[in-house]
Amino acid sequence: MIEPVELPTKIGIGPLLGPGQNLASVSDKISGVVLNRKTTLGWIAGLFVSFMLMQGLLLGAGVLFLKGVGVWGINIPIGWGFAIVNFVWWIGIGHAGTLISAILLLLNQSWRNSINRFAEAMTMFAVACAGMFPVLHMGRPWLAYWLFPYPNTMNIWPQFRSPLVWDVFAVSTYATISLVFWYVGLIPDLATLRDKATKRFHQVTFGALALGWRGSAMHWVRYEQASLLLAGLATPLVVSVHTIVSFDFAVSIVPGWHTTIFPPYFVAGAIYSGFAMVLTLMIPVRQFYGLKDLITVRHLNNMAKVTLATGLVVAYGYMMELFFSFYSASTYEGFMMHNRMFGPYGGFYWALITCNIVTPQFLWSKRVRTNVPILFVISLIVNVGMWLERFVIVVTSLHRDFLPSSWGMYYPTVWDFAVFFGTIGLFLTLIFLFIRVLPMISIFEIRMLLPAQRVKEPVK
Amino acid sequence: MTPNAYTIPDALRGKMQRYQGMALVVGVIGLLLCALGFVMSPEQLLRSYLVGYFFWTGLALGCLALLMMQYLSGGAWGLVIRRTLESATRTLPLMALLFLPLAFGVRTLYLWAHPGITATDAVIRDKSFYLNVPFFLVRAVLYFIIWLTLTQFLNKWSLDEDREGGQLWAKKLETLSAPGLLIFVLTITFASVDWIMSLDPHWFSTIFGLLILVGQGLSAFSFVIAVTILLAMVPPLSGVISKKHLHDLGKLLLAFVMLWAYLSFSQLILIWSGNLPEEIPWYINRLNGGWQWIGLALLLFHFIFPFLMLLSQSLKKNPKALASVAVWVIFLRIVDVFWLVQPNFDKAAFRMSWMDFAAPLGIGGLWLAFFLYQLRQRPLLPVNAPDLEKALAHGRPH
Repeated sequence: MIEPVELPTKIGIGPLLGPGQNLASVSDKISGVVLNRKTTLGWIAGLFVSFMLMQGLLLGAGVLFLKGVGVWGINIPIGWGFAIVNFVWWIGIGHAGTLISAILLLLNQSWRNSINRFAEAMTMFAVACAGMFPVLHMGRPWLAYWLFPYPNTMNIWPQFRSPLVWDVFAVSTYATISLVFWYVGLIPDLATLRDKATKRFHQVTFGALALGWRGSAMHWVRYEQASLLLAGLATPLVVSVHTIVSFDFAVSIVPGWHTTIFPPYFVAGAIYSGFAMVLTLMIPVRQFYGLKDLITVRHLNNMAKVTLATGLVVAYGYMMELFFSFYSASTYEGFMMHNRMFGPYGGFYWALITCNIVTPQFLWSKRVRTNVPILFVISLIVNVGMWLERFVIVVTSLHRDFLPSSWGMYYPTVWDFAVFFGTIGLFLTLIFLFIRVLPMISIFEIRMLLPAQRVKEPVK
Repeated sequence: MTPNAYTIPDALRGKMQRYQGMALVVGVIGLLLCALGFVMSPEQLLRSYLVGYFFWTGLALGCLALLMMQYLSGGAWGLVIRRTLESATRTLPLMALLFLPLAFGVRTLYLWAHPGITATDAVIRDKSFYLNVPFFLVRAVLYFIIWLTLTQFLNKWSLDEDREGGQLWAKKLETLSAPGLLIFVLTITFASVDWIMSLDPHWFSTIFGLLILVGQGLSAFSFVIAVTILLAMVPPLSGVISKKHLHDLGKLLLAFVMLWAYLSFSQLILIWSGNLPEEIPWYINRLNGGWQWIGLALLLFHFIFPFLMLLSQSLKKNPKALASVAVWVIFLRIVDVFWLVQPNFDKAAFRMSWMDFAAPLGIGGLWLAFFLYQLRQRPLLPVNAPDLEKALAHGRPH
């Protein structure tokens, strides 16, 4: 018997903001993290570990540039190893930020206001990590500008039919729009920090970054217009970027890559992994910085729901691949699926199914969605699962070519791992720095959630 | 507000009955023509019948999907169209009955079911574990059991909510909708493989189920928008359904138009660039011999035209204009289904039969008559839904 719920919200898991918050407390709480809080030992330790991890990237990239891509485990038939796996993984993680900041803005989902700033920052950093891999993978990074179509004396152009070239445009456009969107969103808060700052250095720095924002009505009108426009631009971009990433695989005729479900399934997978990453980062941050009143259990619950929903779309994608490998009655499709499940990399496939399909099913239960530690563990598992997914797609589809004579195995070397973990270090370093120097939650958007801020619209 | 505020007044009731009668006449004439067509050419009749049947069933199924979606997402847009969606889902028993001609015609309609085909075609033989007549029929029965069960509970609890009110029914409806939608998506995927994809038994595309699903959602959205706008012209809904509601519905229609184009384009470009012998013939059929003009028309009028129209905010708030776009999309949806079905049979050149008009009109007439009958059975808004006041206030000026 279900009792009628008396809570004002449909979800019934409590409000968007904790009790007792007002305009002043919100501003103080968020800006205080940047302006007043002493640099804690925990933050220094975290930054130190991340920074050390990042050295793996520097070392790995250094060795790579000195010796060439031969230091990695890639070879024929597996020419795409960790580099592409990591590229897709990172860029996918970035997509949740755009979804939260742009799509949920267009859908009037005000609960996003507590998490969009952080998620956007995560997008920037993830795209930065992702963008490195294609360049590293080239082997001759000093020729990276060849990717762009520029008039040259050799009269050579990129192959415009190749989605790898579309990637260049899609990812660079996406990175640009994300950066602009993030910065535009920061301006009112930078002005708040400028006004609250007591030290000269803070006042000058934040003052310069705030671009002369005075909070006049005209400023706000323009600001609202710009946000909506940027959100409108970012929404198709986020879909197009991961669609083109999926095209990188699917326009080929490699069994396991060439399948029409890839575009929507990659987009869903990207959002899935991105939401898992937002949870992974948000849960500790709200704990350590005492932000539980701003990032409430209701936020976590909503994010868990999106994770579950996108996870189910991903599961649908796996299921279609499986069904059509039989239905197609194609020898190659059938072999690919069999090899994926029971071949030398079969363990990865089953691990991926466990991480990506089985684990998130616990999120059907509200008790799990509102249990913070369990949610944290699930989000970690999904992150791993989505990395495994890309590994399975890249490696198992390639390693058994049409001709058994050209079969081979892929074993990542220490330099593969160094670069991979190095980017995790870079990502975390940037996150730590971001938390310290910029408001990680949008102050003015949180203020808008307060009851005091509800102004009635004039009758039109 | 009295519970009966949205009961259909007599004037509207009379109007609905008149339209219902007209639709029934069209339906009966159409189906009589179909009977004549069956005598002349059973092969052609079954193909045309499949076009009409798949479109109208898809419309009802799209409404079932939207009904569950709006319970899950909440929002004012879902409340104001809920009764239209419910009425459309209650036509599914009729569609189950209308499946019978296809069930009996399966050996004529589907190449893989032709007697002796497995002896000559190795691919079809390899697929016969899935594509065989008994299993095909069992699956169809299973789909309908699932769809009718969902329809039954969604409609019953909604009626209970009308009578009793309270949070209990809303909670139940939401709880059913999540797994309901999940199972629904799977049934549509396999039904689209069975009924449409297997017309060309060699062809396959993993995105096809989603494409059909979105197409049905698009049909359903266009239909409910048109119906809602018609209803909003007269009491009791005049003045209740506002421009803001229409704006929201228009935005969702735009989203579906884009989604359909996105999935269609993905399928086309991947198959085109792969150019594999087991996949590309499907498009070669559809992009040659006159069929390419239908394909081009789909690009221009099923995507570009409604897309450009729906970008305009003033159009989305203009009832007449929005309804026109919606009806336009419904028409193009039928063309799309036609383009999915017929080129499988007329590979050499574009050909149309008079039955391609008779069957969709006949089934559509019958469907609409049944729909209008169902629409009259309940108040036009869920009078005791917990969020009704909020949903209606959403549209009012503050």
